[in-house]
Amino acid sequence: MKNRLRELRAARRWSQADLAERIGVSRQAVNALETDKHDPSLGLAYRIAALFGLPVEEIFDNEHR
Amino acid sequence: MWKIGTGTAHQRYVTRTAAFMGVYVLLNVAAIAGVFDALKGGPGAWALALAVSIPIAGQIWATLALMAESDEFVRALTARQFIVSAGVAMALFCAWGFAESYADAPHAPGWIVYILFWAAFGASAPFIRSTK
Repeated sequence: MKNRLRELRAARRWSQADLAERIGVSRQAVNALETDKHDPSLGLAYRIAALFGLPVEEIFDNEHR
Repeated sequence: MWKIGTGTAHQRYVTRTAAFMGVYVLLNVAAIAGVFDALKGGPGAWALALAVSIPIAGQIWATLALMAESDEFVRALTARQFIVSAGVAMALFCAWGFAESYADAPHAPGWIVYILFWAAFGASAPFIRSTK
């Protein structure tokens, strides 16, 4: 699933480890999300959206629309 | 969300693995050295066979515990690796079993499937980097 995670993280000057700590996953998980090697669960997508103050669909592409 | 952090989960996994494999190696070395020779042929031999197998069950539990204590990415990745390795080990061991039946291949003891499983687990790790 394509996403804007790297761009949003870079805009805040956070490292992958910083973001990982904020959303409660490992740095490897953040890297996997950014490189499209893992699709987040609904719960994780909501946590990420809440952290950035954006709707889920503004971070993760909804290929079904 | 992970419960204790992937670093801590991995640390626990390593500790549990070392403990279970320590017991496994110790029992096998003692058996090879002849410590349990007096048990052969009797009911004690069945107890020994079960005792050697308990650390194997423990090791499987340690892997499942690692999955339960890790975040969703590590959990999904480990599950994938576990399924692939179990499939490879079963397929190879079944192929050997049929070779024994049809091609007079030498007999391979059943415990080799455990070694095959972990060999496949290690060998597949560099290739399983995505949960998709």
